[in-house]
Amino acid sequence: MAKPNFESRDKILSKLKGKELVNCFQCLKCTSGCTALKLLELKPHEIIKLVNLGFVDELPSSDIIWTCVTCLKCVQRCPQKASPYHVIIALRNLAVEKEAKVPETYMKIVSSILETGLAEPPQKIVTKKMKTVDRECLKLPKIKPPRESFQASFMKAMEEK
Amino acid sequence: MSVRETFPRLDIELVDLSEVICCGDPVKSVNEFAANFLAVRVLALVNLTGQDNLLVPCNRCHFTISEVQETMKNSKSAHKIIELLKQEGLDYNSNIKVWHTIDILHDLVGLEKLRQAVKKPLKDLKVATHVGCQIIRYSDLQRVDDAENPRKLDELINALGAETVDYAEKLDCCGAALTRSHPDSALSLAGSKLKAVQSLRVDGMVVSCPDCQLMFDARQKEAGTTVGTKLNVPVVYYTQLLGLALGIDEKKLGLDLNQSPVDQLQAKICV
Amino acid sequence: MTRIGVYVCHCGLNIAGVVDVEKVTEYAKTLPDVVVAKHYTYMCSEPGQRMIQDNIKNERVDRVVIATCSPRMHEETFRRTVAEAGLNPYLTEIVNLREHVSWAHTHEPEKATEKAKILVRMGVARSRLLEPLEKRKVSVEKSVLVVGGGIAGIQTSLDLANAGFRVYLVEKAPSIGGRMAQLDKTFPTLDCSACILTPKMVDVAKHRNITLLTNAEVTDVKGFVGNYEVSILKKPRYVDVNKCVGCELCTKVCPVKVPDRFNENMSENRAIYIWSAHSVPKTAIINPSYCLRLKLNKDVCGKCQTACEANAIDFKQQPETLQVRVGGIVLAVGSEVFDASRVAELGYGRFKNIISSIEFERISDAAGPTGGNILSPKDKKPPKTIVFIQCVGSRDKRFHEYCCRVGCMVSLKQAILAREKIHGPVKIYVCYIDLRAFGKGYDEFYRRARDMDIDFIAGVPSEIHSTPDGSLYFDVYDKGTNKLLEIRPDLVVLGTGLVPNSDLGKISTLFHASRSSDGFLLEAHAKLRPLESSTGGVFLAGSCQGPKDIPDTVAQASGAAAKAIDLLSSGEIELEPLKAVVDKDSCSGCRICETVCPFMAIEMKPEIVEGQERFRAEVIEAMCQGCGLCGSACPTGAIKIQQYSDKQVVTQVQAALSEACAEGGK
Repeated sequence: MAKPNFESRDKILSKLKGKELVNCFQCLKCTSGCTALKLLELKPHEIIKLVNLGFVDELPSSDIIWTCVTCLKCVQRCPQKASPYHVIIALRNLAVEKEAKVPETYMKIVSSILETGLAEPPQKIVTKKMKTVDRECLKLPKIKPPRESFQASFMKAMEEK
Repeated sequence: MSVRETFPRLDIELVDLSEVICCGDPVKSVNEFAANFLAVRVLALVNLTGQDNLLVPCNRCHFTISEVQETMKNSKSAHKIIELLKQEGLDYNSNIKVWHTIDILHDLVGLEKLRQAVKKPLKDLKVATHVGCQIIRYSDLQRVDDAENPRKLDELINALGAETVDYAEKLDCCGAALTRSHPDSALSLAGSKLKAVQSLRVDGMVVSCPDCQLMFDARQKEAGTTVGTKLNVPVVYYTQLLGLALGIDEKKLGLDLNQSPVDQLQAKICV
Repeated sequence: MTRIGVYVCHCGLNIAGVVDVEKVTEYAKTLPDVVVAKHYTYMCSEPGQRMIQDNIKNERVDRVVIATCSPRMHEETFRRTVAEAGLNPYLTEIVNLREHVSWAHTHEPEKATEKAKILVRMGVARSRLLEPLEKRKVSVEKSVLVVGGGIAGIQTSLDLANAGFRVYLVEKAPSIGGRMAQLDKTFPTLDCSACILTPKMVDVAKHRNITLLTNAEVTDVKGFVGNYEVSILKKPRYVDVNKCVGCELCTKVCPVKVPDRFNENMSENRAIYIWSAHSVPKTAIINPSYCLRLKLNKDVCGKCQTACEANAIDFKQQPETLQVRVGGIVLAVGSEVFDASRVAELGYGRFKNIISSIEFERISDAAGPTGGNILSPKDKKPPKTIVFIQCVGSRDKRFHEYCCRVGCMVSLKQAILAREKIHGPVKIYVCYIDLRAFGKGYDEFYRRARDMDIDFIAGVPSEIHSTPDGSLYFDVYDKGTNKLLEIRPDLVVLGTGLVPNSDLGKISTLFHASRSSDGFLLEAHAKLRPLESSTGGVFLAGSCQGPKDIPDTVAQASGAAAKAIDLLSSGEIELEPLKAVVDKDSCSGCRICETVCPFMAIEMKPEIVEGQERFRAEVIEAMCQGCGLCGSACPTGAIKIQQYSDKQVVTQVQAALSEACAEGGK
């Protein structure tokens, strides 16, 4: 039998605001209404149960935790306020900590924020009439970058577990 | 663009922040503390302007910043964030009211004022609304509108003279969050919704979030391919429609930047 | 000089597991006036009690201090023990070493023992100042008010009436019967509900000891246990009950259509109507909000009056108020059904084919809006796929946290009825979270449902939608098969739970009956006193105390009747003497006590003193609860609370601090 790890479970619990995760009684409402179920087989109830019983270690390295669409329907409808979304976010954080597989896009965004303050650099757009425009053409205000101290601050924030 | 054009005409002055940073939403999946730090930093930047009200025209940013206000009330790490900001010379102000385009227009400006400001009533226009996910959920966090029966965007459109329709898929998600990690699934979600809207035979779809607009408008063609349907749905952000009703020139509303067939929508209005 | 006996109870390990009872006993021996100090495993046991009695007889102990569990547990027991040995029972002092010491400080035994010593010292100090008191007897009325005419109220009334008590049964609807009258069949026997209920309803109407007051409400309650004065408002029916024969000619000619409440607004009745087919009394009643003549206050219509051959219509009928004196009250006001439209995502109220469980009962009932045929409300055809969804509004932190207790059995019953009544293939699903079939014959009933090809899905849907043409669809994930099932039902029955009556706030205030955190009426003790409210003389029966099924309701109703009989049958009750007492000579007539008393137990009585009329406070003993507010508010100290005089309380405080003071007077 796979061995549960209650230390890992407690770690997840400490990251969550409340302890309602343990109140889940497997009504399956979250999975029944999950936006990511049909296309990506995400079953929030299963993730909650696995964490509850201590089978946490397999989750951060799984692909499934990255399929959540963050539509928040599970948080809205859960009768016990177990909030699978928040648990999934906590598991994603754990995946990053353990250096398990994390979709590239997230780490790219973090680097971009570190450098410029923004998740992505401002873009040029090609209109339907095949004209290329940027913020200046559109007379939009300049994007003011964050002050110098931002980088160090953000890096320090990233070091918190 | 359309927000900057329309709000002054409704007597709301918009003040830009002295620094532009990410609200932290994508960082949540990497490090929640760092994400919270960014969101609180935005509020600290608002504090610098001396204003008590923050307008956030994007659903995800609005959710992120609203949730962090709640988190800061009873998180054990709140003081660490405040400390980091202090070192940058920034202060967190917990009394800032966070607005979204929808509720600032519906609740603060009010439908009556909007009606009176309309120069070109959008008669005979029928649209579907997509208010998105993160400004209606989760209701414990006092969101912009009701989670199961959001009506504010519909009422804002009705105030311009147009009709809105109800449909079963109204609360379905656009899929934007998966757009980079699972592009096919994201497009499939957006495509299914557009397909449903298309069968309603309405003149267009109105959204209230730039992320949703990216999926439905900028990527409509790809979405259509993913679900095997030719999609032809004009998609606009609410203030673009508002701008047209206020008689503002289309170029100022960024309508030529939309990728969906908004000219069809405009044609109907300008007749 | 008093002779104090101190008895320290181990309470098994409850106290002794934390407190060093030997040390406490040894300490007690050192206190002045203590002639006996013992400890024992269970003081409340027979040998424990005999120990005390022996000391009273042989060692002439005249004050008994028992250091044990909360006085709420055994104070009465020990008072009886002491009385049996010939000592006044009010010379007993209980010191709480369990709830106040061993249970509160389980992990600090040394400190707990020190605290126990201090508490014993305080108890001993007070016991020196205790005075002998006598209980007083008051006569009581051998009659009972029963509020609510559902099955609980009906059962209680019959039991009390058969025992020779006069019963006033007050029901706010025009007929008794309540929820049970609305049910088609009852689980697990599938008895016809009306068939087993109506004989009891008729018994109530005919019983010479029962005064049945329908279309009536209690408006005021004064008095105290054994002697309540109740005001009852009889609302006008606008029909003379002595003349009306229930022929319903009037109903046929009335032009105004009104939603039929008995049929859960699924059919229409008239402004003049009879409540239901099995009404007791079977008398017409006019709804003044709909009747043209009464609503407009003009001389219009009046067709019913013309049609009535018994000349029973009386548009000028006035409300009547009755005053009755009763000894006890049984609250049997029932509960309401959860409004499923609050769970907006399930579509109740938006889609016609989504109904609540009580609406299904009416549809299933042969006397209901569809003649007993199970039909989808939208197209009035028999459904091909029926789905029952459990726990709507229950077990849900967003609405009601409790389990509604009856929902599972109701759905099983309704699923079985649907299977029996609909001919031809019908798919019947029950979507559940946990299926609870706990009672006698209940799990067998569940098996019966499975035998009848009813499919059980372990999971509930998140939302229900409708296509533009009106067909319902939803997805639900099933735990057993790990499959997402896509269901297209033509009838959805939501298992809506029972919720507290919206009247309960008013009822709670009127009868001084507290409510628990779930909103229902609070019982005196969850385990041992489930039939009594927090107020003496007011008993609870039925779902107003918590959701329950018919067998439990009937059991509780009979139990409440027995409790009332127990209280009132001897014709008198004893009052606790721990009340406020006024020393008239010190009373200045300032009336502060009258103002602060929450039980209206103080009267100002006029007296002639030296030729002038002065007012002096007088305590109505039977209403006084001994709360002490008057005693602390009185500026002259004229009001004393028996056993809680200023001197007694101050002495205890001094005893608490005394050794600390004695230690070098720091």
